[in-house]
Amino acid sequence: MKKYKMLTLTLLLAIPMLVSVVGCKKFLDRKPLQSTLDDLNQGALEGQVLGMYNILRTYAGFSTLPFLDFHSIRDDDAAKGSDINDGKEVVTEFDTYQYSKDDWAPNTYWNDRYTMINSANIALHTADSLKVTDPASLRNIGEACFFRAHSYFELVKTYGDVPLLKSQIVVPSDGVKPKSTTGEIYAFIDSNLQVAANYLPVTADEYGPGFKGRLTKGAANTLWAQTYLFRQNWARVIALSNQVIASAQYSLPTFPTVWKDGTNGDGKNGPESVWEMNAWVGANGQSNGKVNNGSGWGTCQNVRQNGATNDWNLGWGWNVPTQNLVDAWDDTDPRKRQTILYSGQSDGGPSQGGYGATLPNYTTPDGAGGLAQKYWNKKVYSDPAMRQFTGFVNANGAAEWINHRILRYADVILMLAEASNEMNDGVTAAANLEKIRDRASGFLGATRTVLPKIAFVSQAQMRTAIKNERRFEFAMEGYRFYDLVRWGDAVSVLNGLGYTNRCRYYPIPQKAIDLSGGVLKQNPEW
Amino acid sequence: MVPLLFRRHNFLKTLLIMKLTTALLFLTCLQVSANDAFSQTSITLKLQSTELKKALTIIERKSSYRFLYNEETVKAGTKVDVDAINTPVTEILDKLFANRLLSYKILANNLVVITGKDMEVTETKVTGKITSSLGEILPGVSVKVKGSTLGTQTDAAGNFALTVPDNAVLVFSYVGYESQEIAVGGRTSITVSLVASTQKMDEVVVIGYGVANKRDLTGSIAKVSGKDIADKPNTNPVASLQGRVAGLSVVNSGTPGRAPDIRIRGTSSIGNKTPLYVVDGIFNDNIDYINPNDIESIEVLKDPSSLAIFGVRGATGVIAITTKKAKAGQTIVNFNTSFGFKKLVDKIKFVDAEGFKTLFAEERANDITNPTTAPFDYTGLNANTDWINAVTRTAHFNNNNLSVSGSTEKNRFNFGLGYTSDEGIIKNEKLTKMLLSFSDEFKVSKHIKIGLNLNSFRQNNPYDATAVLDDARKVIPQVSAGTRLFKTANPYGGDSIMSNLYSGLDVGLQSSGVVNPLLRVEREWDKIINIEYRNVGSIYGEVNFLKNFTFRSTVYADISTVNKRQYTPLYYAYNPKNDIPYLYSQSTNLQEDDQTYRKFQQDHVLTFKKNFGDHSVTATGGFTTYYFGNFNRTGKVSQRPSNLAGVPIPDDKRFWYLSNGFEDPTTTSGSSSQNEYSTVSYLARVLYNFKGKYYLNGSFRNDASSRIPEKNRNQKFWAIGAAWDVSREDFMHNQHIFDFLKVKASIGVLGNQTASRLDGTPLNYPFYPNLTSGSNAVFGTNVVSAATQEYIANPELKWETVDAKEIGVELNAFQNRLHFEGNYFIRTTKNLMTFVDRSVLGLKNELVNGGSLKNWGEEFTASWTQNFSKDLTLNIGGNITFTKNKVLTLAEDLPAGFLSRASQNNGSAESRTQPGLPIGSFYGYEVEGLYQSYADILKSPSAAALGAYRPGDFKFRDVNGDGIISADDRTVIGNPTPDFAYGGSISLTYKGLSLGVDVVGVYGNEIFRTWGSLESPFQRVNYSAEKLNRWHGEGTSNWVPILGQGDRFNYNGSTYNIEDGSYFRIRNVQLGYSFPRPMLSKAKIKDLRIFVNVQNMKTFKNNLGYTTEYGGDATSFGYDNGGGAIPVVMTGGLNITF
Repeated sequence: MKKYKMLTLTLLLAIPMLVSVVGCKKFLDRKPLQSTLDDLNQGALEGQVLGMYNILRTYAGFSTLPFLDFHSIRDDDAAKGSDINDGKEVVTEFDTYQYSKDDWAPNTYWNDRYTMINSANIALHTADSLKVTDPASLRNIGEACFFRAHSYFELVKTYGDVPLLKSQIVVPSDGVKPKSTTGEIYAFIDSNLQVAANYLPVTADEYGPGFKGRLTKGAANTLWAQTYLFRQNWARVIALSNQVIASAQYSLPTFPTVWKDGTNGDGKNGPESVWEMNAWVGANGQSNGKVNNGSGWGTCQNVRQNGATNDWNLGWGWNVPTQNLVDAWDDTDPRKRQTILYSGQSDGGPSQGGYGATLPNYTTPDGAGGLAQKYWNKKVYSDPAMRQFTGFVNANGAAEWINHRILRYADVILMLAEASNEMNDGVTAAANLEKIRDRASGFLGATRTVLPKIAFVSQAQMRTAIKNERRFEFAMEGYRFYDLVRWGDAVSVLNGLGYTNRCRYYPIPQKAIDLSGGVLKQNPEW
Repeated sequence: MVPLLFRRHNFLKTLLIMKLTTALLFLTCLQVSANDAFSQTSITLKLQSTELKKALTIIERKSSYRFLYNEETVKAGTKVDVDAINTPVTEILDKLFANRLLSYKILANNLVVITGKDMEVTETKVTGKITSSLGEILPGVSVKVKGSTLGTQTDAAGNFALTVPDNAVLVFSYVGYESQEIAVGGRTSITVSLVASTQKMDEVVVIGYGVANKRDLTGSIAKVSGKDIADKPNTNPVASLQGRVAGLSVVNSGTPGRAPDIRIRGTSSIGNKTPLYVVDGIFNDNIDYINPNDIESIEVLKDPSSLAIFGVRGATGVIAITTKKAKAGQTIVNFNTSFGFKKLVDKIKFVDAEGFKTLFAEERANDITNPTTAPFDYTGLNANTDWINAVTRTAHFNNNNLSVSGSTEKNRFNFGLGYTSDEGIIKNEKLTKMLLSFSDEFKVSKHIKIGLNLNSFRQNNPYDATAVLDDARKVIPQVSAGTRLFKTANPYGGDSIMSNLYSGLDVGLQSSGVVNPLLRVEREWDKIINIEYRNVGSIYGEVNFLKNFTFRSTVYADISTVNKRQYTPLYYAYNPKNDIPYLYSQSTNLQEDDQTYRKFQQDHVLTFKKNFGDHSVTATGGFTTYYFGNFNRTGKVSQRPSNLAGVPIPDDKRFWYLSNGFEDPTTTSGSSSQNEYSTVSYLARVLYNFKGKYYLNGSFRNDASSRIPEKNRNQKFWAIGAAWDVSREDFMHNQHIFDFLKVKASIGVLGNQTASRLDGTPLNYPFYPNLTSGSNAVFGTNVVSAATQEYIANPELKWETVDAKEIGVELNAFQNRLHFEGNYFIRTTKNLMTFVDRSVLGLKNELVNGGSLKNWGEEFTASWTQNFSKDLTLNIGGNITFTKNKVLTLAEDLPAGFLSRASQNNGSAESRTQPGLPIGSFYGYEVEGLYQSYADILKSPSAAALGAYRPGDFKFRDVNGDGIISADDRTVIGNPTPDFAYGGSISLTYKGLSLGVDVVGVYGNEIFRTWGSLESPFQRVNYSAEKLNRWHGEGTSNWVPILGQGDRFNYNGSTYNIEDGSYFRIRNVQLGYSFPRPMLSKAKIKDLRIFVNVQNMKTFKNNLGYTTEYGGDATSFGYDNGGGAIPVVMTGGLNITF
């Protein structure tokens, strides 16, 4: 009896034990309850590449203040803006060239570019290990190479020598590299843009419907031309610009229409657009994060309310035109009123890129009872219909839906003009300059008196004319500082603001140097 | 629903159903027959040639009779035969004793006294009362007749009654007290005073998967009695442990219900530092759901020999909670209530309106790039508000508990109900909680028992008020905190309404990151319904078999749901500059969140316990699994008044659901997040001692976790401990100093289950990286989802381990008046699971193993009890812990060789975890003073490498002496871990009156203050009062720098931010009075105690913040970000037992 009882007991104990041991393996095998890269087609190569567009749109280093600080606020035509009590360190660090080694904006600018580069490296590693050859995957490779080249180009312009990370980092310490020379960086950029130009489609339609604004061969060639412009390899600039023109994908519409960002996406990715950072906010996006796929780009530059009424809370008011720009710009140039928004005046209505509103007055740098700036960047001036549509109005004012026009066809034309002039082809230079001036006049034609045609007289005369044209055509867009450095004009133009030659390169962030354990060295002049 | 339970009928019915369910469940698991009958006077018995003693034992088992005899009377070797079918026991006994020179007498309560033929047995009814030597009533004391199994327990008043032979010896025993034997000697009344057992040595303590006598253990387990926690005004019981246990660091928070930052024996990891909580066996991450009044005891397990049985969860220490079970042999009803107030103290200081005006004007004039002396336009800004006062209040605390417990021979139950209302000092911050607990244990037979425990609560969670104090300090005093009457359009309709509006801010001056906190506190906080339900329960069955074996199976479940519905109304504020009202909240939004988590655990434990001569062994083996699943859903809808298609969602709870009929369908969005993990473990432990002098404990556990890649999935942990009770050696018998002296040592390997990011948030699938959520690409108006991996998978990952060692001594001396424990410990954490954050290099993060860190130190606990007279007792206790912490190495994969955790606008507040330094060391520049003049700058080393600077800016020290100030001059500027922490208590009892004072303190740590110095440059905030002493010309200050947000030089983290974190606090002062019993008995009350308590009465500290207590995560803690106020709480209450 007793023995039987014990046996039963032992068995009964043993059975659940056995069952549990057998069941353990299954019990312990738990994968995430949502997708991982493994669950997506082809290692999610497409998804990874789309992730780079996400970085471009959402990372501050590409889409908000740090970009403006480095590219625009550093020149003589743009200032920090906002009001006197806000963001004082940016005035110090960018308007007066007392560069900081350890602050949010400079650190972010650096980090975000390496984030982009490493994302591209990982995607390309995926593509490589899968040995993909289908057209869609090859396009993905082209896109990743483009993004990588784009970030390196901005790094090399901003810092000079920087570490070159070419492949996916497996062992984390492999991510720590000493600097490579600008020559090595440019060589890497060339090889990437070569791939991009080969694989990217001529039009975004080739990606399928709904991909308007996605990278194209034209974008690769335009960026590539820019890199040669900075290396003064004029022949390559001419060749690449001509390829873009010959693709017949682009044209110049009237100037104000370039900047429209209306409901239903009107104006985005227009005929002049070679490449834009795309942002979009659907209806009621203010209270629905799901349809807010916006960017801070428009918000950080639109009119800052200060002491004005609530309906003028359009944004943070950064990156504003300086008095220097206003004074230098001939009033007869229609682009002036299409680029600069004046406090206390009408926005000029549709013909001047406005919506028929009158801005509150400028009062004091504090903005007591009014606005704190006299001038604002009109190229991002937000459409009141979109404000209502998205709900970004009054206390919630913002302009998250605005695209950043990164590569414009006008730049292709002006690059061709500049390179032709440097190659002593004054005729081509003048002809291309004229395309821009005629469009700026509102297509008044050769007989116009507004922005009249400039005939070629001498290389120097044409060079000055092209420089001026770039200044006004691209005003507030973030071209000028790097143009001045490239032309060798930065010291003469900017030294009154505190610029010296060493300011052409920004110091490398202290945090990056710290994290490299001393492998990465500070720029010699800093 | 609750009152129904009080109706006897319903209550019993519920009880019955519960019992039946449990019984059924258990019986299906284990088919063991359970047909023994109780209380029978007639039995069926068939025995052949059986020892008489054994025959008696069998009769005891089958009937309700108990036998009392001495060994001489019933000699061994006496064999008997019985063949009885349903025969009265008396008849069987008559047959048994016939011809054996034995006689018997049956006393009341069926005690059968067996004597020699001629002996006379006199029956005596003894009554008595048992108290502790301190005069406390002791209910539930076991009273047994020596030599028999007959006995009883004292009732709630400490009384007992028992019918015994007049020559019987009674044995009184009670957990935590020395047993006493008293010969009845014909007395009818006996008063016994039990002495607390060699103080804590005979305590029964909870160890993993069982309990043990503390004397049998080789490790360090500290026990805190539930009554020390019950009457403290803390919703979270862990908060009451502060200063009570050596080696346990508790950093409290002032937010109601918020879990404190707990570390046991230092910071043992760079990932997880939170201890494991084990509540009646179930593993948990917190004990929010426990009613402090339901706690019987809390044990803190600290050393390897106690922790190895917890395997991968053991390294951070264990806090084991035992909830109350029924004790006494009758029904006890207890009710207690307390009510009190909370008040903000040690307010941080800011300038008033005049001060702001002066300092702001000076800062404007100081501006590097645009100096201006133009006066700032304060139109409409003419208040002088103390914003801290404006958002805080005197808050109320109220706690009520009712418990009913009862037991019969077969069944014991305990039932508790609690209600707590705990307000925070921030306006409208309030937590309310209803708790229910139930436990029942049912004896199916003598060998089988089954039981269940259930703890449930329903809690109204408070609004997260973390940001409010910080928001309040930022607003300039010129902004009014009051309301003003305005006529506005009715945002919900076409008409106009008059309403009281709060002031907005001057958006020109304060817009980025600064808000009027009252707008949210007063307008939105009553629009949120956040209710949490949590049910934690277990059922168990226990079988004793083959004398020495016990098998216990337990199944646990912990299921919680939080439903949060948050409505944002439309409301106005007015612009103070122009007195124009504007719609501050422009759309009605409704967000509904559901969070569910489910935890399931099963434990199957077999225990063998036997004494072989001088050898005593307790062996335990077990199997356990754990499952955790977390499932969350969020949905949002909104409706704007300007949207012609719809009507705003009304400000009426009826409509606060996702589908409410008012929502704009285009705004509907939903998302979810979910994860789960599981573990499977085997464990074994042996507790052995020889002659009660030499002790050996060994334990082992194998853990397998779904979070670890299969190749490393099984990890093993073990510990061995030894102890020597020196006081039991012969050579100690002639000394009179030590009553008890034990030396002990243990060594082992523990695990730390820490797959987390550096801030402690878990990585649920370390080797299956998730994709970053919300990563989308936009093309025109088309949105495509993108795939970005959050981090890199590591196929080699394994848990980190801790090599732990301890040696210690425990002693009692001077007639047990002194108790002392001292331990020295070293814990070395290896294979640190490091979340390598390389975002500064733009690289993906990864979890790797590598590096080690060491915590070592000493802890001492001592107490002295002095009885001055029968009525007056003094007890003094204290503990002190010295902890040192050092990082030995770090993962080779870390690009820089150190871990950096940087915060505040540009990362100037930095904690570094670096080899050779204590974990989370503050890092930055050393301030020597301020540059007083340009001449001063010229004669000092150049600091140009750090950027532009001028007189009034910090003069940093050239730490490396290279003649320039650069980033290389940064150094360690503080350690957030205290050199030592201590706690003490004094209690004085005079008759019914008792006074207790607890103190706590830490010494030698630093705090990093970020407010008043490192605010974002985009924010214009009010000035800290310290700024009144700023530099404003040569010689005016050598510490507080020139005012100027453009002076980025001064935004480098430095010793200017470092403050002394030492403090000494009078934590609790409690005065209580227990009414004398005779007075109460007339009112049918057994016990009545009233008390007043003051918590955090006074803190002596040296820093500018509200408090010195700033927790954090493992590698970044001790930051004072301008919040964290810890209030003084004054409560009074009563405790009544019927």
